[in-house]
Amino acid sequence: MIELPLFIDLGDAAVHTLNGIFRGSILFMIASGLTIIFGVLGVLNLAHGEFYGIGAFLLTSIATFFVVRIAAPTDPLSTAIFAAAIVIAVLLSAAILIPIAGAIEATVIRPIYDRAEMYQLLLTYALLLILVDTIRIIWGSQPVRPAAVDGQQIHAALDVIPMEELFGFQYSSVRIFTIFIGIGTFLFLLWFFDRTKTGRIIRATAIDREAATAIGVSSDRVFTLVFALGGFFAGFSGALYSVSAIPATAEMGGTALVLSFVVIVIGGLGSIRGSFVGAILVGVVWSWAIAEYPPAEIAAPFALMILVLLVRPEGLYGAWGEIE
Amino acid sequence: MDKPDTQTEEGRADSNGIGNIGRRGMLKAAGGTALAIALAGCSDVLLGDDEEVVDVADVPDEPVEAGLQTFTEGPASVLGLQAQFGAEEAVRRINDAGGVAGREIELDVVEEGDSWIENYSRFVDDGKEVTFGPISSGGHLDLVGEVEAQGVVNIATDGTVTRMFEEELDDPTYAFRFQNHDVMEAASAALTAIEQLGADEIDTYANINPDYAFGQDEREIFNATIEQLTDAEEVYSGFPELATDDMSTHVTSVVSEEPDVLFTSCWGGDATLLLSQGQDQGMMDATDIIVGPVLYGSANDFSSGDIEGNIWSGSRNFYWDFPDSDRWSPGRELFDAAQEAEDTIPTAHYMSGYGAVTCWATAVEGLVDMLGGWPEQEQIAAALEGHGFYTPAGYHVMAEDHQCYSNAHFGRLTWNDEMDIPVIEEMTIRDPREVSPPPGEISVEWIESWS
Repeated sequence: MIELPLFIDLGDAAVHTLNGIFRGSILFMIASGLTIIFGVLGVLNLAHGEFYGIGAFLLTSIATFFVVRIAAPTDPLSTAIFAAAIVIAVLLSAAILIPIAGAIEATVIRPIYDRAEMYQLLLTYALLLILVDTIRIIWGSQPVRPAAVDGQQIHAALDVIPMEELFGFQYSSVRIFTIFIGIGTFLFLLWFFDRTKTGRIIRATAIDREAATAIGVSSDRVFTLVFALGGFFAGFSGALYSVSAIPATAEMGGTALVLSFVVIVIGGLGSIRGSFVGAILVGVVWSWAIAEYPPAEIAAPFALMILVLLVRPEGLYGAWGEIE
Repeated sequence: MDKPDTQTEEGRADSNGIGNIGRRGMLKAAGGTALAIALAGCSDVLLGDDEEVVDVADVPDEPVEAGLQTFTEGPASVLGLQAQFGAEEAVRRINDAGGVAGREIELDVVEEGDSWIENYSRFVDDGKEVTFGPISSGGHLDLVGEVEAQGVVNIATDGTVTRMFEEELDDPTYAFRFQNHDVMEAASAALTAIEQLGADEIDTYANINPDYAFGQDEREIFNATIEQLTDAEEVYSGFPELATDDMSTHVTSVVSEEPDVLFTSCWGGDATLLLSQGQDQGMMDATDIIVGPVLYGSANDFSSGDIEGNIWSGSRNFYWDFPDSDRWSPGRELFDAAQEAEDTIPTAHYMSGYGAVTCWATAVEGLVDMLGGWPEQEQIAAALEGHGFYTPAGYHVMAEDHQCYSNAHFGRLTWNDEMDIPVIEEMTIRDPREVSPPPGEISVEWIESWS
């Protein structure tokens, strides 16, 4: 194996980078919802991380429901059926967040749009605490994973890409798929806001709510749709994370929220491109920080954020207050 | 000093630790009623049938109010709930057998959170006669000063940082700790790795430990032990955040270094995550052995795929199936009780709660017998020093330094297909004298004196 100057061989370098991109992909899907909601609604939703947590817990329940009813993957056909069931479980987990987030927006968030930001922060923080307790009531206080398949976790049962044979290092196939899903989500959001009528309406509402209303756009519907969309992507990322056998915990939303803030500050509040670049940067910097100097694990993403704030306060793709 | 010999499964089954067993306790044990001695009814435990029970007029009528602070929520509840279940089982058994000198125990359980001092103070204000907990190592360090100031006996269920009674609080009165301290399990981990691989075969080792007092303490002692007994050097040390959601990069680093030994004191969800992500990246193939003092604490969460490979786990001062049921039924009976009551595999933290309650109850029972009345806190504290007692884990002695000494368990983590649960096989138990210094000595200095 070729040695890099840092005395890390290419296989290790690839795995460290993939670890970072995987984490970045998950972070992007959370942060994109957060940044869209802020860009359109002007609300910094502190409860957003809990949508991610709920998505993870829902996946554990729905996937377990399927796992105990479907034959374990032993051949290409059973593997395909099993994989399809897990994909359905992920999509269902995320889809359940649509009505939940939509209802929260319509009943709790909408009445305070015109209040000072402090009220919004307090209210969404209260929501965060309520959702954490709701998770505890439904799923308990202990970490939860989906049921195992013949003793293997879901992601191990779906380990279909022969990474070692192809690339010379071992890596989870589910993580590779997750990375591609992250990239796909990024491209979808760009297309959606750029090319679709609904996306343009949302952008128009973000830029000038009154003008949008004047041409017949229902800002209430737009806001509900955007909030539900944010909930969907947060839940989607939580579900995908859970497929990788990462235990779902009632507290997982807190860390995700903090890192999502780091991502959107780096990328620029309201910027989808910025969220994507920021998330990948945070993930890769985090991963390489551990590889090179493990004590810097927690500090590295924040150091990157401070650096960006000093050099480019508006973020890498600054689009504060609108979707870009 | 030379290391004392290790007890093995073929060795002593009654697992005597240090200290002296009292006459009646010994007679009871010899008579095969160890379980009754351990749990039940302290009157029956400490008094023979022909001995008079203390005059009830000298003992209050009301129940003993006891408080337990433990983690009932959050990631640490993996440990905290076990301690709660164990404490409640001990209380249940003691009350069923007539209580402590006729007084039943009422146990009030509160969430530990990060309110160790506030919880303890509230217990004291509420008139609790004894307090148990906490689980947190950092919390225990914070708490002990307050316990000494307020003077109501506290027996920590966990909070096992070694320096606690060696450096932070070297002359305690009211603060005690039941569970084995870190030196016992970290040293056991190093000794296990050496026994399995051979000292000459260990050139490198790596660490992945949680980033707080416990993880740092465990690493320091493991490193001191393995470097004292081999020429190995540390090639990686990672401290993932407690309750992290991703260990993959630490795993990648370990896989890259291919150490002979990986030591990890990760517990709860962190242990599950580490082993699961380790399986993904071939960590078990990249290392010759993985030793983890508290891996079995996640027994209720593992799937069989998580623990494939040469993985060895400690189980502190209790493993439910050692000695095996043919020779020592109390452990299996406790397993059955935990399964029935909470549908859980009782881990060492179950014993943390169980033993703390039993320690206090058996000491007070004997004291009432001696004094002819209910003792004061100072008298209870004095009686706890040197107090020996049985639990289903065997025999324990609360030493003069207020650290309880029990055997240390370590064995191969594997899956039992018949029971469909993780178990520990090839168990080795170590006399506490083998893996912890005499009271008054500093652990790391003591290890560095080994030849």
